[in-house]
Amino acid sequence: MRRAVSAFDWRLLVRRLPVGVAVGTTVFALVWVLFWAPSTNFGPAIHSPANFLITLLNGLTLAALMFIVASGFSLIFGLMRVVNMAHGSFLLLGGYIAYEVQQSMTNGGGLTVFSSQVNAWDWLVPAIVAAAAIGGIGLVTQQVFLRWNMGQDLRQALITIAISVIIADQVVAHFPLESSIEKGSAVNTSWPGAIDRLVNLHIAGVQYSVARLTMLGLGVAVGIALWLWLYRTKTGMVIRAGVDDRQMTSALGVNIQVTFAIAFVVGASLAALGGAVFTSYAGVNPTTDGQWLLNSLVVVIVGGLGSIFGTVAGALLYALVYNFSISYLPTTGGDCCGQYSPVLTFVLLALVLAFRPQGLFGRPA
Amino acid sequence: MSPFAWHPRPMSEKNLVELVIGVTLLLFLAVFPVFGVGYWVSFVLTQTFLIGIAAASLVFLTAYGGMVSLAQTALYGISAFALGNMVTKGAVKGLHLGLDPWLAVVLAIAITTAIGLVFGAVASRSAGIYFLMITLTYAVIAFTFFGQVTQVSGFSGIAGIADRTPALVGDPVTQPNRLYYIALVTALVVYFAIRHVVRTPFGISLQGVRDDPVRMGSLGYNVALHRTLAFTFAAFIASLAGVLYGWWNGVIAPDNVGLGATVDLLIVAVIGGLGRVEGAWLGAFAFVVINNYVRDVSVPVLGGSFNTVIGLIFLAIVIVSPSGLMGLWDRLWDAAGYREGSGPRAAAAAGTAGPQA
Amino acid sequence: MGRLRGRRWRILLPFAAMAIVAAAIAASSLAAHSASVIRLAIMSDCKGAFGGAYELDIGGAEAALAQYAHGKPVSSKKPSAGMTGITIAGHPVKIVGYGCGNDTVPVAISETKRLMEQLKADIMIGPLSGDEAVTIAHYAQKHPTKTFIIGTAGSQDPTLQIAPKNMFRYHGDGAQWNAGTGILAYKKLGWRKAAIIMDDYSFGWTSAAGLIADFCGAGGKIVKRVFPPLNTTDYAPYVQQLPAPSKVDGYFWVVGGTGTGPSLKAYESAYGKVDPKKFVGNLFFFFQSGFADVAPRLIGAYYGGFGNAPGLKTAGAKQYEATMKKWFGPAGFNVTDSFVYNYFNAAHALVIGLTKSGGALGASLNASLPRSIKAGYQVSNGGQVKLDSNRQAIADQYPQQIVKGPDGKPAAKIVGYVPGVDQSFGGFFKKTSPPPGRSQPPCVKHKFPWAGHIKAVQNGVITKKTIG
Repeated sequence: MRRAVSAFDWRLLVRRLPVGVAVGTTVFALVWVLFWAPSTNFGPAIHSPANFLITLLNGLTLAALMFIVASGFSLIFGLMRVVNMAHGSFLLLGGYIAYEVQQSMTNGGGLTVFSSQVNAWDWLVPAIVAAAAIGGIGLVTQQVFLRWNMGQDLRQALITIAISVIIADQVVAHFPLESSIEKGSAVNTSWPGAIDRLVNLHIAGVQYSVARLTMLGLGVAVGIALWLWLYRTKTGMVIRAGVDDRQMTSALGVNIQVTFAIAFVVGASLAALGGAVFTSYAGVNPTTDGQWLLNSLVVVIVGGLGSIFGTVAGALLYALVYNFSISYLPTTGGDCCGQYSPVLTFVLLALVLAFRPQGLFGRPA
Repeated sequence: MSPFAWHPRPMSEKNLVELVIGVTLLLFLAVFPVFGVGYWVSFVLTQTFLIGIAAASLVFLTAYGGMVSLAQTALYGISAFALGNMVTKGAVKGLHLGLDPWLAVVLAIAITTAIGLVFGAVASRSAGIYFLMITLTYAVIAFTFFGQVTQVSGFSGIAGIADRTPALVGDPVTQPNRLYYIALVTALVVYFAIRHVVRTPFGISLQGVRDDPVRMGSLGYNVALHRTLAFTFAAFIASLAGVLYGWWNGVIAPDNVGLGATVDLLIVAVIGGLGRVEGAWLGAFAFVVINNYVRDVSVPVLGGSFNTVIGLIFLAIVIVSPSGLMGLWDRLWDAAGYREGSGPRAAAAAGTAGPQA
Repeated sequence: MGRLRGRRWRILLPFAAMAIVAAAIAASSLAAHSASVIRLAIMSDCKGAFGGAYELDIGGAEAALAQYAHGKPVSSKKPSAGMTGITIAGHPVKIVGYGCGNDTVPVAISETKRLMEQLKADIMIGPLSGDEAVTIAHYAQKHPTKTFIIGTAGSQDPTLQIAPKNMFRYHGDGAQWNAGTGILAYKKLGWRKAAIIMDDYSFGWTSAAGLIADFCGAGGKIVKRVFPPLNTTDYAPYVQQLPAPSKVDGYFWVVGGTGTGPSLKAYESAYGKVDPKKFVGNLFFFFQSGFADVAPRLIGAYYGGFGNAPGLKTAGAKQYEATMKKWFGPAGFNVTDSFVYNYFNAAHALVIGLTKSGGALGASLNASLPRSIKAGYQVSNGGQVKLDSNRQAIADQYPQQIVKGPDGKPAAKIVGYVPGVDQSFGGFFKKTSPPPGRSQPPCVKHKFPWAGHIKAVQNGVITKKTIG
């Protein structure tokens, strides 16, 4: 009996170990950042609340952009089980399209226009055009290349890889369209003048960018819109039913193919919307596609594939860990340690997956 | 039915034809350097052999373990980085420990295999698309690690690996034939090792785990352990490719394990065919040749560079034959047999040769 | 094959066809090598961060071959369409291929192998960027019978630490390009305390090294060094580590490639509009071949040059620009861009070297390659760019400023002339000293040879006025 009890205890310990480790790590990280943080850039939050707040806001606003992009990826995967490896290319092309439209609206002549010359329409119209155009490309991709081979996960992923290679090369070959600029150059668009300024938050004297706060608002708006769509409309209901059981849903007489097409268009459009935002926030260049494919993958992997709440959680975790580790790892000379933040971020993600292979909010495969 | 079961069972006609093709090809490759073109020996074929080895580790995991791994590029990179850090000396980047070349090889393989064991243990609870994802994070960890930790590499990578090869290998630049034969022999050994492993009790139960992990688990098999060991074995194979790559290229850099390179290896395996180990080398050959000989081609109307051409070729292969060139061969064979009406077996086989991924 | 019933042997036809094709390829690459033809390869990037510079690089090299070696461009709009009729010392020269790198080491090496081994080039002009040049320097070491003339790469190692005998560079490295600019920040902008943000790889470090050495040499202090990784998605947390604008006199901004725009945008969302007087950059601040999109917000800012001097009013500069326009005017690119200029000089040097060697290659060509060439933007030393004992250029440098051009668009203006900058900075960088890195070089006071000899440049004319 004694042996049996002790074996039982062991298993319990092993099973609870991940939770313990997670809680322990989180508590340690919080204590470190809030009260301790020796030889870091800013010291603990109690000494430098302004830097803590800025780091937090940087993390939240980045998470919002990541959510916009990754939610499209997650939607497509959740419903169709398509790992859309062309998602980053959709974002890249969307960014260049937004740039071209803003250029033609503001007569930029190949140079970034100043935000003071940009009004809200000069920003919104490019974003909408980009989203619509990429939605169209998404529709073609889905109808021509992915409709007839449903269920072949790997084959579909490979098809989208091939498409991403082609799109990436075509973008470098033809964009920017202005003849006076070298093809494949980096471009960026401007935020509207009204939001391209700093605002005093009246907390610890922090001045923060209205544009980044707008980005946060946009992310929240996209999240709410998606939630309303998925949970309060008939199409959304069908999509959720399709995520749960595709065959049963179509057996019930629902035209699942139309639903697939709609979801793919929305997913691709979200990539382009994210591209339009990113083009104002940082700018796009021919290496942007791989970078954002990776970001999307990481967010949905951590959050759990096909779950909108998972995508929120994944984006928050990824963006916050990234921001806080850069600022709050000790700096003890040229070779340590802030620059190891990317490594640390991905190690953390691997650990999350080791304990929860299906991601934080995903259901077991 | 295992396609490799030619012994002790009587050989099917197809096995015989494949055996004849294989032996002919091998004889051809064995004498090729004697009359072959230098570039084909030192660049195209040597590269085909070593990329094929890395791809074979992926095909092994996919075909027999049901695990599509994106970490194989990272693992072969880790092996080359380990070799580079240990073997080089003097004014190059990295640790330049200057160890004995053979000792460095053994350590590089051991380190990579050990890392494969850890990676495999962590990933073993995942399956399907989740396994693909977690192995992708391994690839990204390797890339950021070697890019950021300048003590062991940095973005310019480690050069001079080819200056410190064992005497047997010699200088790959002036004596490319040696490395050619070493890579060829290693590829053969890997091929037969995989064929052997899948027929051991471990290999058989691994295939059981692939087909029905729940049932295998309830039969008392340790599913996670099987997956972990398979992954470790694949890491060992990948490490061999890494050592060969280090000697062959002389330089290893973080971009060798970046997202692009990771996807490239998947493309190689898919072009060849994920169902059969032979496909790894066939895919590697096709990839190397396409990459080298379509440089000056561009597509009318679309424009763009050869990358568009490569994308289109790849798209065509995935659409036409999802099981790659080996799958195409299987289908051609069956189709040829069906036309000639050579018996019910061929007809039945043709019927089942539908697309599968 | 008795067991092969029916017409199953047909299955072997595709294999036979493949074998024939392979044999044909093999035979063709064996046959084509005629002894008297000199085989030249031009290596550049057609993908990645510098993909846009492909035609500029090739155009620069081919213009020199057209001007000095009877080459005829197939298309004056698209240099990469090819060139015929090149003849040097009676030998026909064939451009066997153009290398397409993507700013990564693996592609650089496989393209080099393709050009030098498959296409059997004897000489390479290229590559474009720093890490690529490091890799190719190692390759050159192992292939002593081939000759390599770097196109336009800014890393220090290829000619200081590695320095193979068959590798030549007729332009400065990243540190040289910034010589004098740190002194300007100290003297002209009055900076005493500055922070630096630099790309975390060899070109970023080398470029930063030039600014740090110069600024600290004059007496300035670097109070913080921040190094974001390449292709960072969000520069905000890195920018946040920089001291606030009220705490320092200014920032050295060494984030380039594709990061210049994003990092400056991150700065603006942290601290408000960029004040050009608080920013000194490297060549990426005004990069004619593509990144000019960040220039409007920086009008007034100083930055290190690229070895070129757009708008310099000397006979040499005018002649160079006219030559470029003559051959590739219709291509529409900026001929004063240093991508064009550096590849032009590399090819020009090659023509001189081959003429002197009578078309002989290898060691003979290496010995014949000129140890000084007349270059468009070179003024000191009688307009000759000299090579040092490592075959690395000693060349004039031109700190520049972004100004509003006549059409209202940003334009580059040369403000200073820094004569005869050598790679070692007068012995400051040594083969044995640690190469530029995150904390190298240290910030120390030091008198560099050009300190006190930097002349003001006004309207493209070098004046007698000393500015630093």
